[in-house]
Amino acid sequence: MSESVIHVSELTRRFGATTALASVSLSLPRGAVYGLVGANGAGKTTLIKHILGLLRAESGSVRVFGLDPVADPVAVLSRIGYLSEENDLTGWMRVDELIRYSRAFYPAWDDAYAEELRQTFALDPTARIKELSKGQKARAGLLIALAHRPELLLLDEPSSGLDPIVRRDILGAVIRTIADEGRTVLFSSHLLDEVEEVADHVTMIHQGVIVLSAPLADIKRSHGSLNAAFLALVGAAPPTS
Amino acid sequence: MMRTAARAIAWEFRARHRWGLIALAGYFLVLATIKLLILRGERVHFDGVGDFALVVIVPITATFLYALVVFTFGFDGHVAARQSMYPARKFTLPVTTAALAGWPMLYGTAAMMILWLATRLLAAWPVDVEGPIEVPVVWPALLAAALVAWAQAFMWMPYPLPGLRVAATVLWLVTFDTIVLLALEFKAPEPVMLAILAPQVPLAYLAARFAVARARRGDVPDWGGAFAGLGRLADRLRQRRGHFASPERAQAWLEWQRHGRTLPGWIAILLPFELALLWAAGSSTTLVFVILVGVLITPPFMAAFTAATVAKANPSVSDAYGLSPFVATRPLTSAALIAAKLKATLWSTAAAWVLVLVAIPLALRWSGTWPIVAEKARQVSEEIGTPRATVFVLLVLAWCIASTLKQLVQGLFIGLTGRERLIKGSVLVAVAVFCGVGPLAQWIHDDANVRVAIWNALPWGAAVLCCAKVSAAAWVAARLHRGRLLSDRALVAGAAWWLVAVLALYAVFAWLVSGPLVPHYFLVLLAILAIPLARVSAAPLALAWNRHR
Repeated sequence: MSESVIHVSELTRRFGATTALASVSLSLPRGAVYGLVGANGAGKTTLIKHILGLLRAESGSVRVFGLDPVADPVAVLSRIGYLSEENDLTGWMRVDELIRYSRAFYPAWDDAYAEELRQTFALDPTARIKELSKGQKARAGLLIALAHRPELLLLDEPSSGLDPIVRRDILGAVIRTIADEGRTVLFSSHLLDEVEEVADHVTMIHQGVIVLSAPLADIKRSHGSLNAAFLALVGAAPPTS
Repeated sequence: MMRTAARAIAWEFRARHRWGLIALAGYFLVLATIKLLILRGERVHFDGVGDFALVVIVPITATFLYALVVFTFGFDGHVAARQSMYPARKFTLPVTTAALAGWPMLYGTAAMMILWLATRLLAAWPVDVEGPIEVPVVWPALLAAALVAWAQAFMWMPYPLPGLRVAATVLWLVTFDTIVLLALEFKAPEPVMLAILAPQVPLAYLAARFAVARARRGDVPDWGGAFAGLGRLADRLRQRRGHFASPERAQAWLEWQRHGRTLPGWIAILLPFELALLWAAGSSTTLVFVILVGVLITPPFMAAFTAATVAKANPSVSDAYGLSPFVATRPLTSAALIAAKLKATLWSTAAAWVLVLVAIPLALRWSGTWPIVAEKARQVSEEIGTPRATVFVLLVLAWCIASTLKQLVQGLFIGLTGRERLIKGSVLVAVAVFCGVGPLAQWIHDDANVRVAIWNALPWGAAVLCCAKVSAAAWVAARLHRGRLLSDRALVAGAAWWLVAVLALYAVFAWLVSGPLVPHYFLVLLAILAIPLARVSAAPLALAWNRHR
């Protein structure tokens, strides 16, 4: 473990009368898999959008690789792979056009790896994105997030798009490989079992407040399981779908 | 508690468009106050058709267009798409297709009739407009209702090709309007007008019910197969393409593919209809030139709409008008994202004008109206000299082309804010301004006093606008500098190029309009106003506001 890849300090964000994030502080060292868990609407996506610079910190600060993602988007975003919760890939593009377009932005783009992922994900290069199923779109999104071998991989609710086979057999393996190579993964999910399978460290967020941030092994030791910890700290049964 | 589908649909219209309805109620309140408390039932004497149009016709038209968009669900769908514009979320409601089509049509019809009857009752009608007139009661209400009903049917119908909806709707509404105008020309009595209009609403209902039924069962015809050969050719060309040389080129390609083709597409759809009128113009010089002017102002006019509507990034995401995360997370600066958009607008303008400049001579030649234009050109050359006439025509053309680019670029700063209300509001303002241009021009044309007053006030008006423009640009430049969105060098270079463009335009003006009537300081003001500055430079600011919310 070396310096922090992500450093969030006293971050607060309000949308009208709703406080989405309240004085959130978080520091993620390099080279591990971090699970960001919480119920729907807990503030996971808002936090990830701040890390990407899509939301400006109203108060507090966000630093990624030691840089402000709003002030210096190129330096930050070129080192991040991001899979959005919303399937917002451009529908008129074909899969090979999406790959061709995306590779232009990343000097470290690995053509061989991109092709390997395309074949693993069984994506037809001539298919238009809008003609793909929801699961296939998520696979295409994952391909362009991974193919430039990013230093930080951000996955926002990947389970909402990926089918169970990809989730179980591929996503876990990919995440572990990235972590083993010394890179960092932050993925948000409301499915605790999924997080428990791959995460080294878990941050639990509830109503915009971080209620727990600890290594998974410590959480299991103190609460027995992640589900039990969620029940104890959030006061509700964890979501199952 | 809403116990029926009819009430629920009515509630949705009311809740979603409450501010529009409040504005409409306010408008009628003002009309009623003027009519009942100030005029006390007396009719007004208008000086001309222009005054009457400005006070009565323009507000009615603007309101009618707003209602048209509301009741066709025009805010929900994509007008150029093949899919129905009827909101798909309603298809799963446990109600019959007849109800899904019928209730919005009934509300639209009722709203149009109420709109006309309230206007008929409360508007200040003139004593005479070129002779005494009796304002009809029923048929205009039916006309408005029929137009909305047919527009609903056309908007909700799925089509086999993108853009076909626009062509079909325009063709039908123009035909329908022509029938009504011919009936009016031959002074058809009210019963005849009723006989023409009364069957339209039930006929439109049948068409709309058919359209909604098709859309509900997902029956969207596709003639794309007919263009399979073109597709294969495109695929072969696509395979030859290499990698993009830079991220900026990739982004410019994306912008062209996504938005750049919209304006040329619109022009390609509208041009044949406009130029077909040349065959009807016969030997009338006035009609031929009116048609040509109409064709020349089509690209800038459509550009104003295109710039605002292309702002809709992705209808499938939660914030459809915001910058999509896919684009927002590209590792590019906001200035580079803007530069890509500007390149796409340049290509878009060029493509649209190539279409116009190729189509006009062909249409003039084939319609046999070429000699009329050639004769007029010869007359103008004799009057002001061939060089001046040539420069004047080129300047008009350059103004039209520059205006198209200007509309696309200046509209960007609204579209790029990603704020839905701002974007839709700008479209409504553009429609209202367009509705007002004709009557305003007529008013100025008819009234010599108005022309004198405008002429005297022109320098002052231009000076005030120049001050506002330069102040706004200075504010924007300060914000760009503070936010580090543009480098100091880029800011200085931009200002220098703007200054050079202003001076060049001033030189052309000074050569073209040399005379004591137009002072040179006024030409400088005109040149300053003509070259875009504040709104263009605000585009990176708007994008940054959208990208980092």
